[in-house]
Amino acid sequence: MEHLGEKLAALLAIAWLLPLLGFTIEVFGGYWGARNCKKAAYIAIGCIAAGFVCSSTALYLWGSETGWVALESASHGGHDEHSSATDDAHTAGDHGGHDHAATVVEHHHKQTVFSGCFYRLAKFGSLNLSLDWYIDSLTLTMFVMVTLIATCIHIFAVGYMHEELTDDYVDHQVHTHDGCHFHRPGRFYRFFSYLSLFCFAMLGLVLAGNIFQVFIFWELVGICSYLLIGFYVERHSASTAANKAFIVNRVGDFGFIIGLMILWTSFGTFSFADQHAADGKVQPGLFSMVRGSDGKLEATDGIVVLKTQQDEHGHWQVPPDSSQRKTIAYTLLIVAGLGVFCGCVGKSAQFPLQTWLPDAMEGPTPVSALVHSATMVAAGVYLAGRFYPMFTPEVLLTIAYIGCITAFVAATIAIVATDIKKVLAYSTISQLGYMMLALGVGGWGAGLFHLITHAFFKSLMFLCSGSVIAGCHHEQEMPKMGGLLRKMPITALTMLIGVVAIAGLAIPGTSIALSGYHSKDAILATALAYTKLNSVHFLLFLIPLLTAGITAFYMFRLWFYTFLGKPRDQHLHEHVHESPLVMTVPLLVLSVFAAGCAIGGEEGVLFRMLTHSQPGHVAQGFNGLAAQTVSLPSHDAIHKVHSTAGSAALLAAFCGMTIAYLVYGLGLVNPEEIKKQARAVHAFLANKWGFDDLYDTLFVKPAHVVAKFAAAFDKLVFDEILHTVVRFAVVISKWDRKFDEGVIDGFVNLVGNSTYSLGIGLRGVQTGRIRQYVTFIAVSVVTLFVLLFAFYPKG
Amino acid sequence: MSPEALMSWIIFTPTLFAFGLIFFDKKAEEPMRYWSLCGTAVTFLQTLLLACSFSPEDAGIQHMVKVPWIENWHINYQVGFDGISLPLVLLTSFVSLLSMMASWSIKKQVKGYLVLFLLLETGMLGVFLSLDFFLFYVFWEVMLLPMYFLIGIWGGPRREYAAIKFFLYTLAGSVLMLIAILMFYFGSAPEGQIGSFDLMQLTAMAEKGDVFSPGLQVAAFILLFIGFAIKVPCFPFHTWLPDAHVEAPTPISMILAGVLLKMGGYGIIRIAFPLCPYGAQYAAYVLVAIGVTSIIYGGFAALAQTDFKRLVAYSSVSHMGYVLLGIAVWKISESNGAAVGRDYWLMGMNGAVFQMLAHGISSPAMFFMVGVIYDRVHHRDINQFGGLSGLMPLYSGLAAGIFFAGLGLPGMCGFIGEVFVVLSAWNFSKTLAIVSASGVIITAGYILWCLQRVYLGPEYKGPHLDEIKANPLTTRETFIGATFLAFCIFFGVFPNYVFDMTGKSMEKLVQGLDTGYQNTQRLTGGVQTTQTTQKQN
Repeated sequence: MEHLGEKLAALLAIAWLLPLLGFTIEVFGGYWGARNCKKAAYIAIGCIAAGFVCSSTALYLWGSETGWVALESASHGGHDEHSSATDDAHTAGDHGGHDHAATVVEHHHKQTVFSGCFYRLAKFGSLNLSLDWYIDSLTLTMFVMVTLIATCIHIFAVGYMHEELTDDYVDHQVHTHDGCHFHRPGRFYRFFSYLSLFCFAMLGLVLAGNIFQVFIFWELVGICSYLLIGFYVERHSASTAANKAFIVNRVGDFGFIIGLMILWTSFGTFSFADQHAADGKVQPGLFSMVRGSDGKLEATDGIVVLKTQQDEHGHWQVPPDSSQRKTIAYTLLIVAGLGVFCGCVGKSAQFPLQTWLPDAMEGPTPVSALVHSATMVAAGVYLAGRFYPMFTPEVLLTIAYIGCITAFVAATIAIVATDIKKVLAYSTISQLGYMMLALGVGGWGAGLFHLITHAFFKSLMFLCSGSVIAGCHHEQEMPKMGGLLRKMPITALTMLIGVVAIAGLAIPGTSIALSGYHSKDAILATALAYTKLNSVHFLLFLIPLLTAGITAFYMFRLWFYTFLGKPRDQHLHEHVHESPLVMTVPLLVLSVFAAGCAIGGEEGVLFRMLTHSQPGHVAQGFNGLAAQTVSLPSHDAIHKVHSTAGSAALLAAFCGMTIAYLVYGLGLVNPEEIKKQARAVHAFLANKWGFDDLYDTLFVKPAHVVAKFAAAFDKLVFDEILHTVVRFAVVISKWDRKFDEGVIDGFVNLVGNSTYSLGIGLRGVQTGRIRQYVTFIAVSVVTLFVLLFAFYPKG
Repeated sequence: MSPEALMSWIIFTPTLFAFGLIFFDKKAEEPMRYWSLCGTAVTFLQTLLLACSFSPEDAGIQHMVKVPWIENWHINYQVGFDGISLPLVLLTSFVSLLSMMASWSIKKQVKGYLVLFLLLETGMLGVFLSLDFFLFYVFWEVMLLPMYFLIGIWGGPRREYAAIKFFLYTLAGSVLMLIAILMFYFGSAPEGQIGSFDLMQLTAMAEKGDVFSPGLQVAAFILLFIGFAIKVPCFPFHTWLPDAHVEAPTPISMILAGVLLKMGGYGIIRIAFPLCPYGAQYAAYVLVAIGVTSIIYGGFAALAQTDFKRLVAYSSVSHMGYVLLGIAVWKISESNGAAVGRDYWLMGMNGAVFQMLAHGISSPAMFFMVGVIYDRVHHRDINQFGGLSGLMPLYSGLAAGIFFAGLGLPGMCGFIGEVFVVLSAWNFSKTLAIVSASGVIITAGYILWCLQRVYLGPEYKGPHLDEIKANPLTTRETFIGATFLAFCIFFGVFPNYVFDMTGKSMEKLVQGLDTGYQNTQRLTGGVQTTQTTQKQN
């Protein structure tokens, strides 16, 4: 089995590194190719398509080597379904017992999770940091999804970006100071090199085997997003949006780093999986330490004792010797979870950091499809799912509420947005909120299920909008469109598939539905089961249900507004054309997946594949014993309310669709009238609930003030102190000079002068006459003797 | 050549080449430039040879040379290296080589410039290789004078002011260091005997804990720390840096940012901490607080700058704050004085050295990038740029890459140093760790905003547009920029090469500090107020 892990790692590593290779070649495309040369695109497509082949092969290998165990065992059921799982084990193994423990053991025989190390970054004493890989069914599914969607989008982009294939690209949105349009050489190759770099970073994020490595690629996808949003570097709005995206993400990453610090200091490792050292010892990973093998997280007196010792069965247990125990305060574990989730909030544009994503629509539409709907923004959800065992119920509750608020706020803004891409952007935020909500209420499978289905239908819709925008000569405002169905039928119909999918429509009474229905249904069922257990949090079901209706409304509004009705701008309408095959074929491919990827719902392949990686403790649910803690529903409980939730969701969706049809399809009510009636509400929504202004006054402006203050402080205080000291020194030295010249020199001169004048005075005595000298001597001697006798002490 | 002799060759090769310059005619500028370039290149190759003789498993000083110099006072010519100084020696010769290449932009009094440049290199290498406190001091001063003239003669309009400011600050630091040197010299002498300048001996004495009293350690540490902190530069001793950088010519800014600032950090690691473990631990919380303040304060100050070079200078203040932070995250248990979570402190120390290296690559690169555009348009007002990415795509690409390294992007060198240091800080103090982590937001803010104003946008807004168009990036400039960028990426992807080098020596150092502190406390009872600094955690 071990070499299966190596094989998988090799395949996925190839899929991961090929785009990097592509990037290094493509980025110099300006040197080895002409501006109208498409080679860079072919290289990029080749790399990512090869990545898709590798990922699919890996998935197939994994499946066949493990006997497709993931698909056989419906692990989402409670105890009643364990019997069927045991039957499967019976056929696979030769001594499968009917008791619970044997099932687990059988499960362990089929190793389905693989981990290992690429190379070590650093080692400090017992601390070890390395680049690892962690492969389970979630990793594999994500790899296939990302590479598949990326391939489609790469191909689409060849058509969408063809205007860049020139030496003289005219950017109509940028004016030079003399009022002309801005001219520049095309940057076709650069676009594809950025896309390749992004694919590399994104796949690295999914493959990462420790949370630190996730953070590395987390930042890298961030910078790729920065580069792609700001692709039209000449547009001020684009570069500002790029900055905003990166900086807002950094705010989230600030929390992420705090989470990392706590984990690193308390656990001493970042690794998800247990690590096998060369000497045969096994070091527990984060999940084992917190959850052990039975998935229980126990805190006594607010302290969690980490399970760092293996018993003879290989289960992780609390060491019996209390001196060897490692502990972490329960509150610290909560803070760590919130910190990591804070990173997810930034990346997945959750409330309150959602403001960057709509602005990010400045990037070319394929970027919006790939980066800002299907993959990068979903990375936050992916991480929340991956890191699930570390989250305490309190953290999950926060996640649920954040997701719920986000879903609702974004959906309301989407109602009034008129830019076709902005509607989709808000819808993305809203759907990401759904996913977070699902994770928060204990629907691990449901959240990630929605991640995958959403990736397909949202990338499809973005590409459709790209096709519309390209067809309308870069017009993005829906009020100028209308009646495009005839002109671009393929785009319109594939878009309709996406809209139906996201709205969650189905034929009542049957399970014939597109992908979005299944995943949204799963989420709402979980939320309903959750609110039944925790009746205080009833809003966690009602608001998403309401939002489901709003979603159906604004998505159909978009479709009716754009494709039905009369053309509102005749001039524009005349020039509209359907996109070429290179753009419509990816649409068709994606629409197939958007429609069918979730076939079978929770009994289907995709859901089972995902839930195979579900953390062990999720299925049984969680009973909050104390009154203040929340409980999580078990799969049984969810299953029981499934049909209720499904009907409610369907009803909400039909309501939304009907209203949209009445208003925008039939035109029974003029939307302008409604706008006039509720002007304040409209203004509030159109102003995006005022978040941008709020953050501007709360953070951006104060930051600049503080910055100015710091710079001025240097000049006015530190330098001024220095200057004062120097001036003081100069004054002292001046005094010193005066003292020198006046006092010291004065004294010296005085001595000199008096000596001199003494000399001058004595000169008169020196006559040269001997008689006079003898007289002096005689007088002196006599005087001396007199003095001697007068003063010499007697005796 | 034996590594022992090689070290002396490395130190004095630049001097020999400087001496050789005397024989050139004053007007033969090109030959003189190539001659000096040869000098730096030979030095660089020699340091590479030295690195080959390094064995990473050996924690102590390797290939030490000890020759009596002034015997009456026990002053020796004593050089050697270990895993801490070797990376910095390599960095010095590397940055010198690339700055020499960047010196083609110097047109005035070339001969004098080159002589001083080479003398400066001797001083810098001497500082990193010397193991005698007196010799260290001599090299420290040797470096000061050439720098003074290089800024004062070849600098910008306010060069005299900047040069004197630089000189006074550094000299003040040197004087404090000199006092500390004498304190140790006389403190290390038993009654009536002669003291020692040997750093290794002094370190061993400090580790034993019975030679230097706690009072002496605290006093000496404060003196040494201020002396080195001026060089780092840490808040609030940093204001010489922006002026010196702004006025210095581009290659000298590169040296200043790349090497001179590292001497402060190196001095703290090599001298201040090992000689006064008690004093260092006594001041640890303050040091960490100063480091964190530098990070945040430097970042904010950078955000407000409109002079391109000043912005990069303040970013240096911010980035060097991580170095001090990483060094000082030394948490002790209150009961017995042993380090708590020593591995995290070890990580901080290693991260600090890595950060010095990373900053030593990315910061000169940033100054070089500023210099390239300054040579063309003769101004540095950030608000009067814009649109350079269209006019000079290659230059802008390189610059963006290098600025991303400064921003701490993963996969580039700045990330590893910053993140490792920040991760190690939680163990020491939660509050300060959180504040230091917020630096990532400010850094992203000032770097991206600067990139936007300088490189992005439709058109160039300042003067001398014609010169930009007439002078595309030369091969020499491309080579320098690309080399820097390549190293930024290399160390970001494979930091293990650096940590393998520093690991063992750092472990020994941390171990020694730990025992040194415990011994001092046990043998002397410590200063009564010690515990108050540790209460915060």
